[in-house]
Amino acid sequence: MTENTTTEIVPTVSVTIDGVALQVPKGTLAIRAAEMIGVEIPRFCDHPLLEPVAACRACLIEVEGMPKPQPACAQVVGEGMTIRTQQSSEVAKDAQEGVMEFLLINHPLDCPVCDKGGECPLQNQAMSAGRGESRFEGEKRTFDKPINVSAQILLDRERCVSCARCTRFADQIAGDPMIELLERGAQQQVGTASDEPFDSYFSGNTVQICPVGALTSAAYRFRSRPFDLVSVPTTCEHCASGCSLRTDYRRGVVTRRLAWDSPEVNEEWNCDKGRFAFAYLAEGRITTPLVREDGELRPASWPEAIDVAARGLAAAGSRTGVLTGGRLTQEDAYGYAKFARAVLGTDSIDFRARATSPEETQFLRAAVAGAPIGVTYTALEQAPFVLLVGFEPEDESPIVFLRLRKARTRVVSVGAVATRGLDKMGGELLAALPGQEAAALRDLPADIRAALEQPGAVILAGERIAASAGAPSAVSTLAASTGAALAWVPRRAGERGALDAGALAGLLPGGRPLIDAQARAQVAAIWGIDTAALPGLPGLSGDDLLTSASRVGLSALLVAGVDPVDLPDPALALRAVDTAAFVVALDHHHSAVTERADVVLPVALVTEKSGTFLDWEGRPRPFGQVFKDALTMSDATVLGMIASAIGTSAGAWDVNGIRRELTALGPWQGARAVVPGVQPQAAAGAGFRLASWRELLDAGVLQEGEPFLAATARPSAAIVSAAAAARLGSPATVTVTGPAGSVTLPLEVGAVLDDVVFVPMHSSECSIYRDLGARIGTAVDVTAGGAA
Amino acid sequence: MTISDQTLERMRELASRYPQPRSALLPMLHLVQSVDGEVTTDGINACAEVLGISPAEVTGVSTFYTMYKRKPVGEHHIGVCVNTLCGLLGGDAVYDALSERLGVGHNEPTADGKFSLERIECQAACTHAPVMTVDWEFIDDVTPAAAVDVVDRLERGEQVLSTRGPAIRTFQATEHTLAFPDDGLAGEGTSVDDKMLAGLRYAKEHNMSAPAHGQEA
Amino acid sequence: MAELPQAVRGFWVTFATMFKKVVTEQYPEDSHKYPTQPRFHGRHQLNRWADGLEKCVGCELCAWACPADAILVEGASNTDEERFSPGERYGRVYQINYARCIFCGLCIEACPTRALTMTNAFELAEDNRASLIYEKQDLLAPLLAGMQLPPHDMVPGTTEQDYYANRVKGPAAVEGEVQS
Repeated sequence: MTENTTTEIVPTVSVTIDGVALQVPKGTLAIRAAEMIGVEIPRFCDHPLLEPVAACRACLIEVEGMPKPQPACAQVVGEGMTIRTQQSSEVAKDAQEGVMEFLLINHPLDCPVCDKGGECPLQNQAMSAGRGESRFEGEKRTFDKPINVSAQILLDRERCVSCARCTRFADQIAGDPMIELLERGAQQQVGTASDEPFDSYFSGNTVQICPVGALTSAAYRFRSRPFDLVSVPTTCEHCASGCSLRTDYRRGVVTRRLAWDSPEVNEEWNCDKGRFAFAYLAEGRITTPLVREDGELRPASWPEAIDVAARGLAAAGSRTGVLTGGRLTQEDAYGYAKFARAVLGTDSIDFRARATSPEETQFLRAAVAGAPIGVTYTALEQAPFVLLVGFEPEDESPIVFLRLRKARTRVVSVGAVATRGLDKMGGELLAALPGQEAAALRDLPADIRAALEQPGAVILAGERIAASAGAPSAVSTLAASTGAALAWVPRRAGERGALDAGALAGLLPGGRPLIDAQARAQVAAIWGIDTAALPGLPGLSGDDLLTSASRVGLSALLVAGVDPVDLPDPALALRAVDTAAFVVALDHHHSAVTERADVVLPVALVTEKSGTFLDWEGRPRPFGQVFKDALTMSDATVLGMIASAIGTSAGAWDVNGIRRELTALGPWQGARAVVPGVQPQAAAGAGFRLASWRELLDAGVLQEGEPFLAATARPSAAIVSAAAAARLGSPATVTVTGPAGSVTLPLEVGAVLDDVVFVPMHSSECSIYRDLGARIGTAVDVTAGGAA
Repeated sequence: MTISDQTLERMRELASRYPQPRSALLPMLHLVQSVDGEVTTDGINACAEVLGISPAEVTGVSTFYTMYKRKPVGEHHIGVCVNTLCGLLGGDAVYDALSERLGVGHNEPTADGKFSLERIECQAACTHAPVMTVDWEFIDDVTPAAAVDVVDRLERGEQVLSTRGPAIRTFQATEHTLAFPDDGLAGEGTSVDDKMLAGLRYAKEHNMSAPAHGQEA
Repeated sequence: MAELPQAVRGFWVTFATMFKKVVTEQYPEDSHKYPTQPRFHGRHQLNRWADGLEKCVGCELCAWACPADAILVEGASNTDEERFSPGERYGRVYQINYARCIFCGLCIEACPTRALTMTNAFELAEDNRASLIYEKQDLLAPLLAGMQLPPHDMVPGTTEQDYYANRVKGPAAVEGEVQS
């Protein structure tokens, strides 16, 4: 995608700034043109990614021929324009200093207790571009402080300089104009409607771009000062968007996370989950290895625990199942992939802790694993048309949502719910019952098919295509027949990396088919083992793996960071763990699996190791270790210790060694598996069809310990169409009953297909797998009322 | 009070009059005031829903303009201009007299809900300074005694006429006219009188004109 | 003198010194006779307002100013139930490491609320490093008459501005007009 950026010839204009003549692209703002010659004009409201507004007036400059000073942030340079900044013009300097004095009139002198103090553009520019002395002798205007614009975002109105960065961000970038400038004159203030808080998924960005300390977060308020923080660039572990973050820590504790600049991925934004959900890092760690003795887990030394694990796993050998969860780095996932094949001789490995299908497995092998970067964020921005299948970007990959919204691309979502996110993207819904997307794709309207045939059109398939029989086949076929580019957007950060690392049955690293002789030879050579030692036939994956384990088909399980409640049949998962003769769990926090394991080995968090996440594009997003002196070990290192206890070395187990092996292997160039050809299936059973997905803010384990964030989550509700609500008698609450049980939720009317009910997949109030025993597309009963 | 279906229908009618529906927000807010007596939260939410904008954006507009009231006003809303000319010519005294008569201050309603009082900014009626408005109808060349008399008569339920002709109705009734200026009442009374044109006449008689742009007067 | 033996000449110095003025200060026996200078830089103290609330707002400017990295502060929020200082923020953790402190006084200059001052106390010797780290309770000024041990509410009817303007003169005493 980079090759066609250089072909455009941008017209330029000549401008003179402070006596320096330069050529700038047409349409350049004076403030940016000045930056090009190293002149920094003071600014508050100006932000390169927001529309100019010229609200703060701090950037006044003198433009020859104009009677008054002009705001540089909104002044487009014209051909032959002569501009004088504060560097060469007394008028500009005086104007800037005067504005600064005005801005400071009502600004409180509470820098010592302000979270922005020390990294505050107002503080800095008051020093660099202000007069130092104020002539104001009156009483400053004060407000009650702080007020909550949401549970997480706090507003100190007297600090505000009315730059409108926050309100412009909310409106222009996030599409959530829930904050607005209210009142006028000296009383002008940012505020919300009286009954609608600023519960935007992206609200935290307003704190970061506020040029004064008016907006602060409840999570970071008074936690520390910027000058005693150590900052490390990192990658977000919460989803496959792959945001660059800055992690700030103090004395071994992460105090905050900020969105970091990555123009090709997250630009300068991130979502509130990435920003605020890090309390889990500090709380409830497993601190020592644990070994089960007489039915009880007891602390054990590392050598003892490794020894017990090695003996148990070696005994089970190829009859071991490996579940890695979706949150591992690519290097750690590679460790499991190698450990399973080279050390245990098993190919029963799966990274997907969610609904899966054999069809999806084949789709991933054929179309995704080891594929080079195809569709990128930039490609999305330039695409004439984007089709979403089983994918709700705002909840499941928020930065994809922001980019699609920015591009104002025509978006069509194949699904049962016209979501708020789709509305904000200006998208259309192509109706398909949950689980019936394949049929809709088969019978695609001609205009959408034509739109897909345009060059640059994109199909984005989410992780939920696995829950829709025929959908993986249908998207593959559709992409092939229309020429549209196809990208798979998983939800978890580690899924794409794990797939490319070979942590899925039938796949060796780099997308190599396990059954291909050349692929086997390449991998065996790198691992330093005999080709024959690799498992010969693809192993079990998905539900089959768990079913087999629960019937003593597998005698050992090696599990990393899997929460059974994420799986479509939590009871089956627990039965599998209970039934397996020997269970080793590698995790940093206790779960239902570690409670049942025979050996629990504590592993490093993302802050304690370096590694790489592959984002949904397939783009490596490497990150360094935050806590350099952490004593914890990564999953791969621990697996390496077990491997050597078993007596197989099989190459490198440290992060650098694994990266070298991955680089040496490279992506597979040979023949790939064929895309699946599963036909759409007709819906079975009567009643409401269950539509569901993981909302961004829900009961996920990585969001634990952050109550302010949880309070901004969307309230759990059962959403039905207006007609369906009327049929039910428009009750306040409804009871949704699935095969395994029922939940009672508030009823909400939304843009949902008739005979479809949306229930959040895993919120604090309900979990469809655990509470209902239902999957996406299952027919459920919805009845009025019920005990709340 | 909740916004009725009929009011929603009238809001949609207002919205349909403009190429950009959002332009209808100002008359819609007047409509809300004519129904609820103030800009209520329900009214804000209704405007937002009809126009497809957020309640926060409606709140921003409704708090910017002083003619939109976020607190209940009286049945009759009295404004007294206290800007320079009116103030100097007796506006301040009129305000004080009314404040004492009603026992309320700026933007406060009386306990019985009959009246509310506001210091207002220039009404572009300096010719007749000082002016007061009752439900936005002018009482020109007002004196403290005349102002109190208007209040007395309204309290007794008598009909009071604006010095420009129209009968004073109620705050909500006037707000309805502001929402729908085509109701036939908007043009009532005198809009221009002889006194207002005195300056123009003088200028014409003496051949005076405004200086050209950029030229010192 | 020249004929006297060397040893006697040597002892003469000793003998003569016995009649000179003694400059040695007997410490610790006579230390009260020789007080430090009034502006001597001794151990720090965290001061209190007249009602006992702490002056420290946990802003960490002292820690930032410290050239020896001897101070560690962590702020926290006051709540209506548990108030340690006027205003929103107080210093939850306050440590000075006297193994590092060089008594330069830059922290005192940095303090925006005059919470941190230096006393004349200089007897800071310890036999281990850990004891040289003074915690908040070691540094807080003693409760004088009329002061109450925080946490407690601000004087009724006052705001934090009244404290900063020094209008609060005791647990219930307020001088002048308060802003309310």
